[in-house]
Parts: sequence; structure tokens; C-alpha cells
Amino acid sequence: MPPIIDETKCIQCGLCVDVCAEDVYYGSKSGETPVVTYPDFCYHCNCCVKECPAKAIRLRIPLPLMLLYKEGECDIR
Amino acid sequence: MKEEIIKADVLCIGGGIAGLMAAIRASELGAKVVVAEKGNALYSGRGRAGNDHFWCYIPEVHGPDITSFMKECLKGPKLRIIQAGTSMSVLRTFMERSFEIVKLWDDWGIPMKHGGQWEFAGHSFPGEVLTHLKYQGRGQKRVLTEKALEKGVTIINRVMVTDLLRHGDRIVGAVGLHTREEKVVVFQANCTIVATGVADRLYPSPVPGWMASTPNCLTLTGDGRAMTYRAGGIIVGPESPRRHMGPRYFSRYGQATWIGVLRDPHDKPVGPYVTRPDRKYGDMTMEVKSGILEDFMKSGRGPVYMDCRGIIPEDYDYMMNAFVDEGLSSLMDHMKEEGIDLRKNPVEFGTYHITSEGKIWINEKAETSLKGLYAAGDESIASIGPSATYGWIAGENAAAAAKNAPAVDIENVRSDIEEKKNVVREIVSRKEGADWREANVALQQVMQDYAGLVRSETLLKAGLDYLRRLRSKARRSLVARNRWELTRCLETLNLLDLGELVLLSANERKETRALHNRADYPLTDPMLDGKALYVRNVGGVPTFEWRKTE
Repeated sequence: MPPIIDETKCIQCGLCVDVCAEDVYYGSKSGETPVVTYPDFCYHCNCCVKECPAKAIRLRIPLPLMLLYKEGECDIR
Repeated sequence: MKEEIIKADVLCIGGGIAGLMAAIRASELGAKVVVAEKGNALYSGRGRAGNDHFWCYIPEVHGPDITSFMKECLKGPKLRIIQAGTSMSVLRTFMERSFEIVKLWDDWGIPMKHGGQWEFAGHSFPGEVLTHLKYQGRGQKRVLTEKALEKGVTIINRVMVTDLLRHGDRIVGAVGLHTREEKVVVFQANCTIVATGVADRLYPSPVPGWMASTPNCLTLTGDGRAMTYRAGGIIVGPESPRRHMGPRYFSRYGQATWIGVLRDPHDKPVGPYVTRPDRKYGDMTMEVKSGILEDFMKSGRGPVYMDCRGIIPEDYDYMMNAFVDEGLSSLMDHMKEEGIDLRKNPVEFGTYHITSEGKIWINEKAETSLKGLYAAGDESIASIGPSATYGWIAGENAAAAAKNAPAVDIENVRSDIEEKKNVVREIVSRKEGADWREANVALQQVMQDYAGLVRSETLLKAGLDYLRRLRSKARRSLVARNRWELTRCLETLNLLDLGELVLLSANERKETRALHNRADYPLTDPMLDGKALYVRNVGGVPTFEWRKTE
């Protein structure tokens, strides 16, 4: 569940912890790779993704929120 | 319990668009200003990731007649519903000053023009007056936060203000809770501006059991309205439901950002306004009837898709760019990952859950009915243009009033502060009981089933009994393992108060109007045209009054 932090890229700067309105990283310790304590409270706003200077965060959209779409039969109507 | 006392001329509760605009204006007029923000002002509120439509009146575009422009704006049911309860004089003041704000934002580095021109698009009927300025708001919160800091505003992040402090007939400050540290924060302020945004999490969101399927931030729980009501301020029209539509389940605002046509499974447009993607007008069907998608599903004629097929390449690029401005970058990332191409794939749209439209009553100066208290933003006049403009107006008037307001020592209301601390102490000291989510879900099911899409006196009265029982149980049994859960508990207690207001006022509105559907009063009563329901807490008793909104 979102967000997912790539530990090999994370520089432990804590910016993601700092900006999240929902505070999903609550309890993360300074100088360590953040923990996603409340993943299902993530609103998927992308704020942490945008803030991360190491591009170490991506969001995984949970299955119930997947966009529903259909294959288009024609390109131009 | 550790306590910090912070003194200011003007306290802004909430660091969203309105709160920051209020803070900037009050500070440049010489007031000492503090913003208390529950999250981080850089990314908080409904405007946190961006917006792309700014409702405003620009004389050089719309002509000199502001009255006829206002009439045009209120032609669409969406604007009528979201501005229900806001008096015409307040709306007019917003209009008159909106261009000033547009120019300011453009100066500050929020691009308000396209190719050097004011470009109006979306939220308007084909061939009629265009009401919303298309702008590039993706960086708006950073610009406003930096501007506030530059003007000397103190921004305190991670503090949830829970209650206003009232001394006699005057609001003299507020009490809040640090959301990460074990600390209570007490504010002493000559004037206070509430700007905490919309009230969500009152009704269940479209994905069962999944609160994050909402177009609003999850921490927007109507805190300002709840505390204003408890302090004795007037709340207008909490009985009016509002619903939005957008991508089904991946709930997001930005319906006018989509350049496409709402079509049924046989590719037939569901509304009468557009048959091809139209960059200028979009598909107004969504704004005329947000429940239309639900009707299609219930009758078996659905699903309904937002169909952008046929969009010209230039407009496709324009729309994709606007998605980022509107704060929809995660949606775009998701589409890319899933291989969804809007030029080929129609995306299903759905009608979202109910939010309550109750607002804090304000006059043209953004003053509430309580001395020393102002309100701005979604909780007094909805949407981005009005939020920015009325934030500015509130800051201006609060700063002026703060100069002459008597400084009231916060120790005069010490017993109230201690009472709030006790609520916190009780929750954190309990070892077992219900967590916030249990209470919140229980509230949502009462609201959905007893004050939902069909209402009647029997349902509302039963719902009120259930809610009151639930609230009293929640007050006696909520538990929180940490500050995060404690914050959610306090939000839920606010929602329980707001839920009660909805049930009570829905019972008072004995007619059917817009989305307020009374099975026992099916008529729309012309006697109630131009009137709004005002609710006030008088000595613990909810008191109702119908007043004209002119």
C-alpha cells in the first residue's frame, strides 16, 4: 500500500515525513528511513513523491481505487 | 501535561489557501500573526496539490455589469448549491475584489494567464458567459507559504486547534493539541480567523470501508465549524447535502479539467450540452446533476464514462498539463502505469458521497456572529477564488480590529482550558475501548442511513437518538495509542457534533430542495426561496431560525 520507499535510494532526509498532511509517516525517527505507519490513510496526493530529493518514493494505488476504463473502439468520432 | 502559550494579534486556524491569504494580509497591515496548521502549510487543505480554475470577475473580460455577471454565475446548480447560505452581499464583495487577488497571485508567481492572456474555460454552459479563469496552481501552496514567511507570519505546523476560547461575548483565543508531541498549545489572540476547510468523513466514501476514497484531504473534518458552533456562533444550512462526481473510486476534484463528453455504454452522451470534447466549456451535465451517474447505475443503464476520444492533440496536451495544475499528478502516474490513454480509453465516472454544506455565517467583512471571530475559505464561502479573496478580506479586517480590540488575558478562561485538557487526558489514559475508526465508521453509517439521500422525520429522529447514544459512548470509551490516533479521535468528536447538526437541521427543513430529499415533504416550498436555516447553540440547546440570504 502507498507510499513505497526504496531503501537503497532514500537519503533519510525526512522531507516526506515533514510534509504529509495525513501524517502517514507518523513515528518515523529522524535520520532513519521513514516508516509508513498508516498506509491506508494515504490520500495519494503525491506530495511526498514530489518532495523527495532522491526520487525514492512511489505510490502504489490500492486495488479498490484502480481506475475503471474501457477499450475504445475508435479513435475519432 | 506540557502547555505552551502563544500570543498574537491575529490567529489563523488553518494554513490552507484562505488561512495563508488572511495571514499575509494581516501581517502586512502590521499585525503579529500566527497560523496554526494541523498538517504542514506547504501541502495542506483542498488546494494543497494545486487548482486550475479560479472563479473571478474581471471587468475587462466580463464587462462593467457585475450584477448580471453574478446572475450568470449562479445559473449552474453546482455554484448555487455550494454557495447556498452565503448572502448575496458577501458574494458580491467577493466578486468585486476577486480581480485584485488574481493580479496579486500573478505577481507573486502563481501563473494566472495563458500566453499572456486571461483565459476563461470550464464550469460554464455552451455559448454563455465564462466564469472561471484557467490558471496554473500547481505551486500555489509553496508560493503562499513563502510569502507568509516573508511577511513575518509565524506558521506552526502540526497543531490541531480543538476549541475556541470565549470570554463573555468575545473570542479571545483557542486551545489546540500538538499532533506529534505531548503538548497542549494555548493561543491568546485579539482576533481569530477560522479557516479549516470542508467537513468530510461524515458520510461513507465510495469505496466501502476505505476512507481514502474521497476527493478531500482526510484530515478535513469541519473542525472550525464544530468549534464555532460549540462557542455559540451561527452555522448556516448544515442540512444541505452536496455531492461531486469524478473518476469512480479514485475520487478526485477537477471535473471541469476533463475535456470530454459523459457517455453511456452505447456512446450516447448522457447530457445535452456537448457531443465532442470541448476545451472551452467541458461537459456541464456533471454540474447540473451530480447524481446522474448513480441514477444510470441504479436503473441498469450504466456505467457512464468520461470520454475524451476525439480530442485534438493540442487540447489533449492542454488537459494533461491542467491535470498537474489541478493536483492530479498521482492520477496521471496511475494511468501511465496501467496503460490508460485518454485519447483511446473512456474512464468510468461515479457520483461521490455526501458532504454537508453547512457554513459559518459571515458578513461582508468576514466577521462571524461572535465578536473577535472571523471565518474564511471553504467553511464560510466555498471554492478557490472565494477562499483566496475572503481570506484576504478576513485578514484585512481582523488586523484592523485587532489594533483596537481589548487584550484579554487567557488566564481568564483557565477553567475552559483545563476542561479541554481533561478530554485529552481521559482518551490517552484509557487502556481499552473503541478506537477513532470504530466511532467514525459508526457515525458514517448513521448519517448514510438516517440522513442520507432519503430523509423523513421518523428516520431523522431515530438517527438523532442513535447518534447521541453513540457520541456519549464515544466520549466515555475512545482510546488512542499515540498522538496520531488522538488527533483522529478529536476529529471524530467534532464530526459527531456536526452530524447532530445535520440531523437536527434536516428535520427543520420541511420540504424537498436540491439534494435534500424529504420523503414526507416532497414539495419544494416557495416560501423558503431565498432563505437559509441558521443554527446556533444557545446554552447547549440548538436553536433554529429562517433568515433571508440577501
